[in-house]
Amino acid sequence: MILPIGPIHPGLKEPLRLKLKTKGEKVLNAEIDYGYVHRGIEKIMEGKPWQKCIYLAERICGICSYEHTQTFAETIEKISNVRAPLRAQFLRVITAELDRLQSHHLANSTYFKAMEHETLFMYMLSQREHIMDAIELLTGNRVNMGWNVVGGVRMDAKGTHLKQILEKLEAVEENHDRYVGIFENGPLVGLRSKKVGRMTKEEALKGRAVGPIGRASGLKHDLREIHHTYHDNFEFKPIWRKKGDNFARTMNRFDEIPQSIDLIRQAIENMPEGDIRTDVEIGSGYDEWRNEAPRGEVLYMIETNGNLIKHISVRTPSIMNIDSCAKYMLKDVATVSDAVATYATSDPCIACAERVAILDVDKGYKTYELFK
Amino acid sequence: MFQFLKDIVRKSSIHVCIINCGGCNGCDVELVALFSPRYDIEQYGIYIHNNPREADVLLVTGAVTEQWVDNIKRIYTKVPEPKIVACVGNCPISGDVFNQEGGTVHAPVSNFIPVAAEISGCPPRPSEILEAILTVAPNAIASRGREKE
Repeated sequence: MILPIGPIHPGLKEPLRLKLKTKGEKVLNAEIDYGYVHRGIEKIMEGKPWQKCIYLAERICGICSYEHTQTFAETIEKISNVRAPLRAQFLRVITAELDRLQSHHLANSTYFKAMEHETLFMYMLSQREHIMDAIELLTGNRVNMGWNVVGGVRMDAKGTHLKQILEKLEAVEENHDRYVGIFENGPLVGLRSKKVGRMTKEEALKGRAVGPIGRASGLKHDLREIHHTYHDNFEFKPIWRKKGDNFARTMNRFDEIPQSIDLIRQAIENMPEGDIRTDVEIGSGYDEWRNEAPRGEVLYMIETNGNLIKHISVRTPSIMNIDSCAKYMLKDVATVSDAVATYATSDPCIACAERVAILDVDKGYKTYELFK
Repeated sequence: MFQFLKDIVRKSSIHVCIINCGGCNGCDVELVALFSPRYDIEQYGIYIHNNPREADVLLVTGAVTEQWVDNIKRIYTKVPEPKIVACVGNCPISGDVFNQEGGTVHAPVSNFIPVAAEISGCPPRPSEILEAILTVAPNAIASRGREKE
């Protein structure tokens, strides 16, 4: 029997159709239908100056909105052969890590809601509010921050703000271990999440899984290792696990929370003085840039003509993660409710995934299959 | 007397369904933040469960994309009377940045279904969304219920 879930469904927050092929309660495999939130952002951007496009790039995805603007700005900086001043790079690190923190809290809370652990769901959301406060303090907005510009950042951070951010992070750290303990040692949590929705390393490679989902399956791949700011100024080691089940994915996100807090502490301690923005003469040409968004690798390919964007193509991490979720994680899951929980651990973000909808009628390609 | 009781019940238990008809997710994230202990939407008797067939309030986010032009009308007809539609964010009101040449959106939502309240912002703060639901929904639902009977 084919069981359709969505696009509007109590279990899903975003429109997407999940078709589960079931035999009794057992899920044999799954298929995913995209196409509900395609807005044509790349097409709108063509022929516009970057000042207009960076807002559109931010609105590709609301959860990891920050990372999109950073990648967009860094791509154009690479085309123009400029680098943002060191202070701006440090401020970017702080905001990127704050964004990662709130995204991981949200992803974990969604999983706890999906597996009916309301207590942890509430705890995670209340932790997340501290981080949202810190983001608002630094950038002035909670979700779409408008914080990056080509050549730096828009505003400088005052010392008092940075001190307050550290206080908020302390409040997050205070309870973090206890919540991880509840998850790690809870026997019922273990029953719902251990050995459910497993994806091996080979499958993760085949499905191109990235970010915490790939790292939980043993792919030691974190773009922050090779990013110039992190590489030159920060001590950083990617966190990864081997088992690749729901438990490993959630724990991987939990473990990255102290890591991000540590990175923010390092950035605030070693914050250099100086400018926050340079004047950029936008060059013409083509280049690409990758960054580690909360969900994994985000890739921007931009061709500019003077100040105008000639062509832009964006690849977001969700598309690979959702695809590998449908192909490998949801295969042979024991129950339908486990399938919904497994889908939630893959941290789906549909607004990201809807870039272009190309359908080759002869070969039966869909957009998300073009990257194979 | 019966009417009075019905009014009280309608005012104090509001079921909400969120429809994301093609936005950036930012408004949906702020709606999820309403669950958190700080805003605690359930203490006001508002329950979000994303099932149109039981909902009193439809919260529409997102500029209407191609797929949603018909679907949003279908979902609206599935919601039982009395019902209220509230737009969250700039997208359903005007299409925001997506309503430009090259975009495939059909904003505003009010072209397709009647809208009772509009909350502007990109995205609006959770407290604003909460305040808007509380100002508009209870009385409007109760009075609309009386009209229909």
